[in-house]
Amino acid sequence: MSDKYETHVNAILAECPDADAKEVAEAFAKYETEFYIPPQDAMRSILRRFKGEQAVPTNRGSSQAGSSTPRNTKKVTKLSELNGNDKDIEIEVEIISHNMREQTIRGEQKQIAFGLLEDNPWEEKGDKTRWEYKDWGPSPNLAPGSIVRIEGASVNEYQGRMSLNINQSTRIAIVREGTRPVVAPGEPQDINTLPADGYVCVVGRVLAARPDQIHKKDGSGSLDIVRGRIADESGTIGFLSWEPFDHAVGSLLKIDGAQVRTFRDTPELNFGRTTKVEIFHDKNFADAEALSQQTVLTISQFRDGARDVDAVVQITEWTKRSFTRDGEERFLWSGQIADPSGRCRMSAWSELPITEDQLPLTVRLKGVRVRAWQGIPDVTVDTMDQVEILDSTPWDETLDLTNHTTEVDLTELATGASRVGVSTCAIVVSVREDSGFIQRCTECRRVLREGVCAEHGPNDGNSDVRLRLVMDDGKSSVSLLTNKAATLELLGMSEAEMKSAVDADGQMAFVQHLRGRMLGRMVQASGRTIVDEQGAMMLADQASILDEDAGLRATELRAHWGVA
Amino acid sequence: MQSAPRARRQPAWHMLASEFSEATLNEKGSGEYDPSFVITKLGAKVNRVIVAGLLERLEVRETSNGSTLYQGQMRDPSGLHYFSVGDYASESMRELTLSLVEKTETGEPVLLLMTAKSRWYQTDEGAVYTSLRPEEACEIDAKTYALWLTRASQGTLERMKIHSDSLGAEPTQEGLKASGVPEHMVDGLLLARNHYGEIDTESYTLNVMQALDIAEGRMEAASQPAPAPQAQLDVDSSPGDSSDDDVKDTLVAIISQMDQGDGVDFETVLTNAGARGVDRQVAEAKLDELSNEGTLHEPRFGWFRIVE
Repeated sequence: MSDKYETHVNAILAECPDADAKEVAEAFAKYETEFYIPPQDAMRSILRRFKGEQAVPTNRGSSQAGSSTPRNTKKVTKLSELNGNDKDIEIEVEIISHNMREQTIRGEQKQIAFGLLEDNPWEEKGDKTRWEYKDWGPSPNLAPGSIVRIEGASVNEYQGRMSLNINQSTRIAIVREGTRPVVAPGEPQDINTLPADGYVCVVGRVLAARPDQIHKKDGSGSLDIVRGRIADESGTIGFLSWEPFDHAVGSLLKIDGAQVRTFRDTPELNFGRTTKVEIFHDKNFADAEALSQQTVLTISQFRDGARDVDAVVQITEWTKRSFTRDGEERFLWSGQIADPSGRCRMSAWSELPITEDQLPLTVRLKGVRVRAWQGIPDVTVDTMDQVEILDSTPWDETLDLTNHTTEVDLTELATGASRVGVSTCAIVVSVREDSGFIQRCTECRRVLREGVCAEHGPNDGNSDVRLRLVMDDGKSSVSLLTNKAATLELLGMSEAEMKSAVDADGQMAFVQHLRGRMLGRMVQASGRTIVDEQGAMMLADQASILDEDAGLRATELRAHWGVA
Repeated sequence: MQSAPRARRQPAWHMLASEFSEATLNEKGSGEYDPSFVITKLGAKVNRVIVAGLLERLEVRETSNGSTLYQGQMRDPSGLHYFSVGDYASESMRELTLSLVEKTETGEPVLLLMTAKSRWYQTDEGAVYTSLRPEEACEIDAKTYALWLTRASQGTLERMKIHSDSLGAEPTQEGLKASGVPEHMVDGLLLARNHYGEIDTESYTLNVMQALDIAEGRMEAASQPAPAPQAQLDVDSSPGDSSDDDVKDTLVAIISQMDQGDGVDFETVLTNAGARGVDRQVAEAKLDELSNEGTLHEPRFGWFRIVE
């Protein structure tokens, strides 16, 4: 370790003679191994840390890093380090969106680019700040999804909002090329291929539109807006118009320059001052009735933040709860719902004509909202007329959905939304070293690291048992966490037997024992999944290693593939 | 809806040693943290594999900077995997490696299964060699090994089918997708087709048949007689390029020069080959080939003689 970082450590020591070389080397190692920050990029942060709280003279940065430029550049890693009057700055950012616009400058038509950028591009979980930018160049090196080093941009502060100005003398170096497609403005896109952020053009039919109001947080009044939903044959998307919008339901529109913003897991189109909304003529475009079929979803398709959702589900549990707000007793009804694709929760703010003895009860939900808590969708019913009780179920009536699990292909789980009540099969490709006994924070159940909770500090913790595995089908992988009951059942051990095994041979030998039993084997697991930008994870309440017969498998393979 | 692609964990390919070791194409993404891949002839774009076999050798090497590196080879029915475990490996992997070294020293047979990252390096002559860096491994019993053989066979058969089905398709992303090539094979197949051109998959079929024989417990069918020592010298048994033959010639020259009657030991051969500019791992691979071809034999383990 000391050799590997020798030059970097010496550079730090030259600035901070009192620092301990070993600690510095460890810091470099930490950046590299835990955050994948190479030593040259970690220099600045480590220098700051070892210089203590005193501010690092920022203009020494570039010469310190071995660069020969004599410029008075302010090199920062975070946007928050910048001030409104900084003129010559250097930072690495990810380009979130990139849009071109024609603008008349001093009587001359000129293309400029604008969009959003985000700091701290390398840290997966770190805090990230987004700013808008304008590129007067415009530089061909800016593309959505790319990570670039911007050298010589200036900060613009307008009414408290900060943005970056990039001009022709600014240098843009691509550090990682973008992978997201860039779509020319004015070219309509299918709704189901829209990016999660950025300016787009779509052609779609209005399925819903209703006036709404947004109350400003500072209490300075409210804004009139219009919310609604449009659809094409590929899908539907909600919209929010900040400008007057008086197109009736059923109108076919071409909307250019709408901004996609993703709130929770649900993208939404925003129409503003620069958005062009015009009537579009296409006799062959599907009518509103056909398109509105697409808003009928199964539970497996529910996404956090979705609105105007229609579904047919079965209510399997339903209870009334009371709580007190402003000294007044209020009621909330909540329970479980299910369909053949999975299960989730439902809550209602007004009483539904449902009694417990009617359960399970099949209902049609119309125009409901979806929220999610820890990845589990929770349908919110605001008014009674959103629920229609049905006489029959569209699926097999004998299907008991209360504990129903649906078998789902691993790749479908890995690439879909979070789901409840699913089961899957795949190969165990990793047994993590922290499988077995863990200590959980007594406050929040987070796993303690060396007796310390990230949130609540040192604490004694409660002992728990879990396995942390990775399962893989050759195309995708999903982390698999088994709870205590599932772990003990899978291992065929009692907690006491497990304890004595770990105590006798140590944690590493125990993990190695687990690998011997599980690596390369087919695991079947059921539970719920959480899918987010970190990847997919299954929290399993049941898991087993399948007993397979290699000879049989081989013979089947021969037959199937015709290998004599 | 599309969202930003994040650095997702790369899936593990079940793969026989022959497919992996014959790969000579690699890809390193343009970004600093992009994963690197080895692309096989059948179009698998491999960053991670799950492989198994007999641990044939595991030795410690002191490197010039004082760190410790274990190098090993693992054999499955189709060929050899070369792997190394260094200080960068996880604590459990290093502990396991230590215990395995002991076992190999006492000559105890070990069946190993590992998930590993693909590695590749290129010699000055431009030849590309692949190797593995195990992430996790464990000793397995024959039953688990047999299961792995069936999965590796299945993977190979599927890739062979997709490869041959794709031959008629236009060599573009859209063309391959339209002809039914699954998403996870499209990139790899395009790269493989450009690089390898037409390939002969007959040897993979033979490998699979042998692997399935073993999985079915039909060991005689899977067994082959030892090559008759005199039968074929390296006249035209190796279609490899001239630099490969040069390495072999060098090795044969070293051994014939230094043999005092009971052969030349492994370390001496490699040290001398190294002195003549032959990469160590290349030399190991070629030494192995020469033994398999019958040019060399090992009168005792680790000592090489030329077959007279």
